[in-house]
Amino acid sequence: MDIFANLMLGLSVAVTPANLAYLLIGVMVGMVVGIIPGFGPAAALAILLPITFGMNPTGAVIMLAAIYYGAQYGGTVTSILLNTPGESSSVASTFDGYPLAQQGRAGPALVMQAVASFVGGTLGVILITVLAPAFAQVTRSFGPPEFFLLVMMGLSTLIVMVGGNWRYGVISALLGFALGTVGVDLETGQTRFTFRSAELIGGIDFIPIAIGLFGLGELYYAFYTGMHVSGTGGIVQYQKEKRFWPEVRDYVETKFSLLRGSVLGFVIGVIPGAGATIASLMSYSLEKSLSRTPEKFGKGAMAGLVGPEAANNAASSGAMVPLLTLGIPGSASTAVLLAAFVLWGLTPGPLLMGQKPEFAWGLIASMYLGNVALLALNIFAIPLFVQMVKLPYRILAPAVILVCTAGTYSVNGSIVETWLMFAAGLVGFFMKRHGFSPAALVLALVLGPLAEQSLRQSLTISRGSFGIFLERPMSLWILGITAVVLALGLLMRRSSRPD
Amino acid sequence: MRAGFLLAILLVSGGYAWLAFAELDYLSSAGRLGPGFFPRIIGVSLMVLCAASLYKDSGFRETLSAHWRTAAVVAALSAAFIALLEFLGGLLAMIAFMAAALAFLNRGRPWQNALLALVLPVCVYLLFKVWLNAALPRGVLLPL
Repeated sequence: MDIFANLMLGLSVAVTPANLAYLLIGVMVGMVVGIIPGFGPAAALAILLPITFGMNPTGAVIMLAAIYYGAQYGGTVTSILLNTPGESSSVASTFDGYPLAQQGRAGPALVMQAVASFVGGTLGVILITVLAPAFAQVTRSFGPPEFFLLVMMGLSTLIVMVGGNWRYGVISALLGFALGTVGVDLETGQTRFTFRSAELIGGIDFIPIAIGLFGLGELYYAFYTGMHVSGTGGIVQYQKEKRFWPEVRDYVETKFSLLRGSVLGFVIGVIPGAGATIASLMSYSLEKSLSRTPEKFGKGAMAGLVGPEAANNAASSGAMVPLLTLGIPGSASTAVLLAAFVLWGLTPGPLLMGQKPEFAWGLIASMYLGNVALLALNIFAIPLFVQMVKLPYRILAPAVILVCTAGTYSVNGSIVETWLMFAAGLVGFFMKRHGFSPAALVLALVLGPLAEQSLRQSLTISRGSFGIFLERPMSLWILGITAVVLALGLLMRRSSRPD
Repeated sequence: MRAGFLLAILLVSGGYAWLAFAELDYLSSAGRLGPGFFPRIIGVSLMVLCAASLYKDSGFRETLSAHWRTAAVVAALSAAFIALLEFLGGLLAMIAFMAAALAFLNRGRPWQNALLALVLPVCVYLLFKVWLNAALPRGVLLPL
């Protein structure tokens, strides 16, 4: 079956009334999640995962994916109007978005960010459509050494790119690996670290940990930093009737920024561990370095808003490529998506697109529709979403704790798992407080079993020689790409260090 | 604070490594790498990194946020909520938690708090119990 036929199959799945409804709910929830500062898509996905249990698998994953990429759109609204990014991938959008709003150009900035997000997101999905099947073909030849190296690549990229203390990043990842070893060893059947508890034999469930780390942990940290008392008084007001639409020159001046941001974002997104935040920051640097008027950056340059916006949306699409074709998530959000796939009995990997075409292509087709819906929402319903920013945190937070707790309990009806979520919440708070990486922990928890299995298989094949990781061409490619990405990451860290 | 957190991780990783060496085999009976292989690497690496971090960051001084009490009270309320979940049952525990949390966080608005403490838990209860048919604990006092 060719790409066009597959896409048609996907569209026929995505446009069923139920799936369309899930898609619309997903994009709206994503927008809201993106808009609320301190509440990221990973938290929303983890919290809402139990709610999808009553749905059909394709509809559930369509909704969760829509929340994921919808959050990229929403995060920029507060960057422009409040100088506060709704989530980390929108940080670069504050640099020029907020100055534009202060100059009375909030309307054009909001419309241009919506257009840029749409172009980036849609180009990203087109690239997935074209490249994912080819990528799946290539990855069919991957063996245990390649899978182990990919896991290491994802984690090391995440640790280096996110910044902060690298030792704390590695400790976070090792903690995730350690949690992943609890339960029955699949090769020998021996139980590990279960302390004779029947609840631990099946391993530590991912959902309570993710909900605790990203839901409760983030929430406690938000209280700790005083988010419940900080108001939204500084929000820039704008009128839809006056100076709302961008001028022709805005489109003309930024057309190449749109394309560059989209392509760069997609490439960065495909690399496990890099993600939308890195893509948007790199795009901002690129646009500034290529601009004839770099002095305008930081003072309201439209290219400084458009490039990063296209990049972070294209990156969120790009991140779906390793997820769908390898089953390797590159971020905390995609790790939760992977958990959703597994919960629904879907095994992402090279064979997914061939064995479950209606699911894989239904998801891809829904992303086209989701981006169109998000464009319309971003242009015509922004005032509605801006009201969400004004929702007091002191009311929102207890409601979130309610859903976190009920959601965790409802998965298996287990009070032990609910306590586990609470413990993860406390750990998540301290991790955020002291500069550790909850994302690395969750990613390692999800990828830990794959890392262990592929490492043991590789060393069994090579009879204990680590040289196996340097023998196969694909392994060398992965090592080469990892080296380049890490070098880039280290350069970025060095250049961002104050003199 | 940071040193305490690192020390806690060091102790946990020490226990983890000890179990990995004492109870899990490095090789399986078939002569392949066994269940202890990976945990040993993780445990030792964790201990080394935690010890190095403790040594390097021992001089680090930090100040507590002015809002630490609020965060602590919200965490304590969450813990109390979970502790009461199976005794009061899902619905009552949610109402009690919301009432307590809002009374603490949203002071001076008793009517708004009372309304929210009733409406939000009922909505969550209907969402999970009725719409999703999911498991929520039935209470001892009121078996809902």
